[in-house]
Amino acid sequence: MEFGGKAKVLSVIGSGGQGTVYLVRFNGQKWALKWYDISKMNKPAAFRKNLQNNISDGPPSNKFLWPKYLTKEAEDGTFGYIMELKPDGFDSFVDILNTYKLEIDPLSGRAVKRPVKFNTLSAMVTCVINIVNAFRQLHRAGKSYQDLNDGGFFINVNTGAVLVCDCDNIAPDGSNFGIGGKPGYMAPEIVRGLAQPNVQTDKYSLAVVLFKLLFRGDPMEGEKVVRDVCLTESSELKHYGQNAVFVYDPDDASNRPVRGIHDNIIKFWRIYPDYIKDAFIRSFTTGISDPSKRIIENEWQKLFIRLRSEIIQCGCGRTNFSSMFIKPNDKTFKCPKCGMEFATIGFSNRDYRTPLYLGCKFYTCEISQESDDFSAVAGELVENKLKPGVLGIKNCSDRYWKAKMPDGVFYDIAPGKGFPVWQGLEIDFGEIKAQI
Amino acid sequence: MSNEHFTEPEVNENKNASPLDDFDMTENVAAPETDESILDFDDDPLSATSVSKKSLVIFFLIDTSGSMKGKKMGELNTVMEELIPEIRRVGEADTEVKVAVLTFSTEVRWMYSTPIPIEDFEWARLRASGVTSMGAAFKELNHRMSRNSFLSSPSLSFAPVIFLMTDGYPSDDYKEGLRELQTNSWYKFGLKAALGIGQEANDNILAEFTGSADTVVHAYTGGQLAQMIKIIAVTSSQIGSKSMTLSDDTSHELAEEDVFAAKQKLLGQQIQELISKQPGDDDVPFDTGW
Repeated sequence: MEFGGKAKVLSVIGSGGQGTVYLVRFNGQKWALKWYDISKMNKPAAFRKNLQNNISDGPPSNKFLWPKYLTKEAEDGTFGYIMELKPDGFDSFVDILNTYKLEIDPLSGRAVKRPVKFNTLSAMVTCVINIVNAFRQLHRAGKSYQDLNDGGFFINVNTGAVLVCDCDNIAPDGSNFGIGGKPGYMAPEIVRGLAQPNVQTDKYSLAVVLFKLLFRGDPMEGEKVVRDVCLTESSELKHYGQNAVFVYDPDDASNRPVRGIHDNIIKFWRIYPDYIKDAFIRSFTTGISDPSKRIIENEWQKLFIRLRSEIIQCGCGRTNFSSMFIKPNDKTFKCPKCGMEFATIGFSNRDYRTPLYLGCKFYTCEISQESDDFSAVAGELVENKLKPGVLGIKNCSDRYWKAKMPDGVFYDIAPGKGFPVWQGLEIDFGEIKAQI
Repeated sequence: MSNEHFTEPEVNENKNASPLDDFDMTENVAAPETDESILDFDDDPLSATSVSKKSLVIFFLIDTSGSMKGKKMGELNTVMEELIPEIRRVGEADTEVKVAVLTFSTEVRWMYSTPIPIEDFEWARLRASGVTSMGAAFKELNHRMSRNSFLSSPSLSFAPVIFLMTDGYPSDDYKEGLRELQTNSWYKFGLKAALGIGQEANDNILAEFTGSADTVVHAYTGGQLAQMIKIIAVTSSQIGSKSMTLSDDTSHELAEEDVFAAKQKLLGQQIQELISKQPGDDDVPFDTGW
């Protein structure tokens, strides 16, 4: 290793386009070692220097499996770095897209398929928020990821926690050490040979990753592409570069999804609310030719925080976005399956209403103007333990709120306390207010 | 990064007919969906099928003539058994990899009647006997590399990988078979590689098949045979689905002719690089191996 000590190789974990990843033991602990095939690199020295800089800068947040230590260069000039191993409980994004992972039965040596899917809708949307937030942090640190694709994430399907891996191509915005990207994820200007990866091309690739996660398909593969039958180099250049057409481009119907092949996209396009679909339409229409029109991470984050707040878990077992519930009036949602109705609450900082159901949560960023914390639960709709059947909101934050009771008076609600939900309820969180 | 010298690529009007027009399109692409209005579908936002994958068929053309008998065939069978699990994951989430094995000796024969997804593929051990009907194998491959036959995937396909392994001189008119095969669009756009085994195999014939000398390799020992098969199979099945490196030149837009056969060229480069790193028998220094 660069600063002394030796790492002992235990086994091979995997190999990619740039090198091989090994399981190693170093200082009594197990790590992953990535060893580069420098013959595939344009500028190995600059690449190594960049890795060194990234290691000394440290990760933008704990959502990154960041390079930890460089090795010394071997006699032939090759080198590697070590990083922490993927923690238990995380699956690769590829397995989520495949909906299963292969596990090798140790006795027969046969591959067995094990299903991989998000446990709850809230975990899935939280995962999306986490991905967007990780790239926001990276871009704020002045760096670009360069090779954003489905192989770059580990995800906990129970919680939506995300770990960004393969961080070795991350470079200061404007620099590139040879990586182009993965077909299907590269921005059209890279495919066309007009640009190298940068923060703007990351934004395109991020939109592809988000689309794949939510709509489970390729945003550019529709009728027009399938007609080519065989995806040759020139058709890739055409359909992902010069003449990339989004499958749901409102002004160009030439590349619509094909039933029997793109069923996921067809299904999910009916489920997601318009503001989500509009963001993808923008990313993949005007955002194709004009990188400055691509959705910025902060905007994605706001959209997905809204999406998470619009999940309704109905008593009949149906869980879906409010866009998939009937709206008998402006303030109510109704389950199309069982007819149960849900009241909504309006926040002073939003122009949409949020459905209320047993177990629904508010997060700190939703009730505090300056907070960016989308994971700390600030409030939850619960049933009163002493008065069964009475629903109320519990203050899970560390601040005092004020809530209006049926006698018309605002009472202080201390952290840990709660108040019943009623027709005329008003809540004062501080700068932000809410009203049934 | 200046785009000042950028010019629209000139498309030759005569060539305007896409080279893909000769892919034998037999099915009509289904009509895009029209909207139905009520909740009459599976609306569970968590239930999804696997993302639509592009299909990639890897064709192995294997010489099972009598001269392959013994060590060569034993080695080949063992390598192939070991190789299949290794390339299982190459497709990741974007590609469904299928394998088809065509053997040729006195007769040509498919190991299975249809390409099998790599996850389910099981290698059936091959036996060697008879003569080397390579031309007949080319004809049979041409016949099956069609949308009506082995390449019938309704979704999009990558051009196939075609990997030829032989240890001898063809005993039939291979040229006639190759001429037929060369008219096949899947062959034209496919990634072709070949492995000559032992002294008798003729690398020139193999280069005629692949179209370029750098995708032809040669193995003289059992160890080399195993290495070469793995190098070619893994490298060729990864091209197209892995992140790729980039040229520094962003001063002009890529045109169709810039990317034509780019993957075949890349395959040639990568195979040559990997081979140059393999320790050959002659490279062993005098003071090692004792």
